[in-house]
Amino acid sequence: MAPGQEHVGPGRRNRQKEAHRLFWAALAAPGIIWLALLFIVPFYAILAIAGGQLDLFGVPVAVWNPLHWSSANFSAAWHDVAGSSAFVGPIIGRTLVYVALASLISLLIAYPVAYFVARFAGRRKALFLVLLIAPFWISYMMRMLAWIDLLQANGYVNKALSLLHLISQPVNWLGGLGITVVFGLVYGYIPYLILVLYAGLDRIDPALIEAGRDLGLGRVRTFVHVTLPLSRQAILTGMLITMLPMLGDYFTNQLLSGTSGTTMFGNVIDDQLSSSGGVLQGEGAVFSMLFLLVLVAPMIYYVVATNRSSQGAA
Amino acid sequence: MHPREGWTEDRRAGGLSRRSFLRQGAAAGLLAAGAGSLLPGCSSGTTTTTSGAHATGGIPLPRPNNPVTWPLSKDNPAIKSGLAPEQNATLRLFNWVAYINPDCLKAFGKKYNCKVEVTTFQNMDAALAKLRSGQLNFDVFFPTVDVMAQLVYGKLIQPLNHSYIPNITQAWPDFTNPFYDGKWQYTVPYTIYTTGIAWRKDHVNENPYTMANPWAMPWQAKHKNRVAILDDARESISLGLMKNGIFNLNTTNPNQITAAGKAIQDLARLTNVHVDNNDYTEVPSGQIWIHHAWSGDIAAAPSYMPKGVNVDVVGYWFPPDGRGPVGNDTITVLRGAPNPVLAHLFLNYMLDLNNVLTNISFNGYMQPVNGVTPQRLVKEQILPPSLMSTVVLPSYFRRGVMELQIPVATNALWEQAWLQAKST
Repeated sequence: MAPGQEHVGPGRRNRQKEAHRLFWAALAAPGIIWLALLFIVPFYAILAIAGGQLDLFGVPVAVWNPLHWSSANFSAAWHDVAGSSAFVGPIIGRTLVYVALASLISLLIAYPVAYFVARFAGRRKALFLVLLIAPFWISYMMRMLAWIDLLQANGYVNKALSLLHLISQPVNWLGGLGITVVFGLVYGYIPYLILVLYAGLDRIDPALIEAGRDLGLGRVRTFVHVTLPLSRQAILTGMLITMLPMLGDYFTNQLLSGTSGTTMFGNVIDDQLSSSGGVLQGEGAVFSMLFLLVLVAPMIYYVVATNRSSQGAA
Repeated sequence: MHPREGWTEDRRAGGLSRRSFLRQGAAAGLLAAGAGSLLPGCSSGTTTTTSGAHATGGIPLPRPNNPVTWPLSKDNPAIKSGLAPEQNATLRLFNWVAYINPDCLKAFGKKYNCKVEVTTFQNMDAALAKLRSGQLNFDVFFPTVDVMAQLVYGKLIQPLNHSYIPNITQAWPDFTNPFYDGKWQYTVPYTIYTTGIAWRKDHVNENPYTMANPWAMPWQAKHKNRVAILDDARESISLGLMKNGIFNLNTTNPNQITAAGKAIQDLARLTNVHVDNNDYTEVPSGQIWIHHAWSGDIAAAPSYMPKGVNVDVVGYWFPPDGRGPVGNDTITVLRGAPNPVLAHLFLNYMLDLNNVLTNISFNGYMQPVNGVTPQRLVKEQILPPSLMSTVVLPSYFRRGVMELQIPVATNALWEQAWLQAKST
């Protein structure tokens, strides 16, 4: 023991450890309570509506006691999915296709942008970041409304395509085209993906890339064997952050198409929740809940993959 | 259902009006507000109907052939006669978006030395939920006729003292004793409208006035991607019913409802039909060539025509014999209104012909007041001659069909049929 150093016995050390642990737990408590309130209470409210009933005017009434829950809404939802009058299956398939396409296009656009900002923007990095964040200053609705004007038959998109001789007739972009909805999703969510990818790419140690080059790899092979594997976690995070809201999106389709041929799953839930008098709200609550449970699967995969990655890095 | 359903302040109809999941709180509020009088039998008054059309729980369903006089209760009396209007007060209106001319409000405020504030709602369900919460202190409310039972049994509105509303004599006779509110105890009429077919004459060769079944006009594959129907279960399933030759737009027959839903599904497959309430912009802009539409929206078409395009290219068809969907809104005074006298005077003010014309010039929707005629609207340059078919005539409320409150189970059938049609 060094001179002047106080002897600390095992009992006191344990007490200090305990106090230390409690201190950090206390710091985390508000956040944990807040998250619990924001997740568990609304989730239970959805359950209470799903298992609830309608009053005399058809207004849904939540039943909070699980012992009194009705299976009517669950049964109705099941008939929509698998009954003789089922109609939800093709919509789920369409939603998955749209989201997969939109995610792929987003990744192909976002990755080079994020790579450029992280690796080559130099002193202008802050400027580019501000420009990337700028779309967030305008609400999602306003951005989509702007696209309605741009995509009109005589809008700037058609004018630009005509000028480039890419089209001979104006395209009816707002006429219920699936591709319009996909591009709407790409436009709406791509800033999230770029930011996440940028954060991941910016953290890659340049020395690792230089090492790859020093060991004789060309630019492409360095990217494929060094940069890409190191950014895998960022890609996964970014895709998750964009795909989850895309899967539940109803607004993009509503504004840019509005036809039954492009209906997404979010539109079905929205229609149920906004049904006249709320008569289908219970069924909408069942779908919302099932949707949430389905989306938990990729979240779990993400957590597992992140843990593996952390362990690998350690 | 309502032409302003889902409208936001920027006058776009979007899907933003998602109702809260906290409806259970609202329902509890209704029970509390009704103080146990949710069932008619518990009310201190009696409901008078001439026949026995009732929804679940004994709540009467007003129909033209089954008029309803709602009960009065001792704990919700009308105000006394002869009271002076509240001074330096702020009259608070709870209304649909863009549904009243601000000039009318300014003039009323000037006349009665008060301020007038408008708070808007996007759909009737959301508005009722807010009112049931009991947290709001509005004076005047603009409900549709199909929620009268909820308003009366929930004791959300107060009976009117007719001595403050002498202008009721200016209203069309049908509205001085309407079937949905016998003896106009709780309401005065506000806007009236029809639902018909709007089309672009420069793109569509067919003329609905010469067609055997004009309600089938949207079912044309050659106009694929250029056809739209209203985003509303009652309106669009009704379109399917009328296409199938059925004009009972409150039908409880599951087969008819299912067949109407299938007709809309066929329309979706045939034309990739648009489902929206933007008839007032999409037809003038030429984006849509055939739109299932509301009369007041199409009456407003001149404001939305692109430069260089004459409004004459827009047509609106409603059966000339009046046998089509008609509807009207009402104005009521809320129970517990802080300024009940001013509220009554406001109802009276909005039944005056000059104020009515000012109001129509703003929102396109007519009011059932004597003197509001097609000729007058054209003369006042409120309406172009080519859109005179958007005018609602008194006879329409005798020959027309109204979409009214239906039993809860039937409403679920309509909504389910609509959901499936929209998701085809």
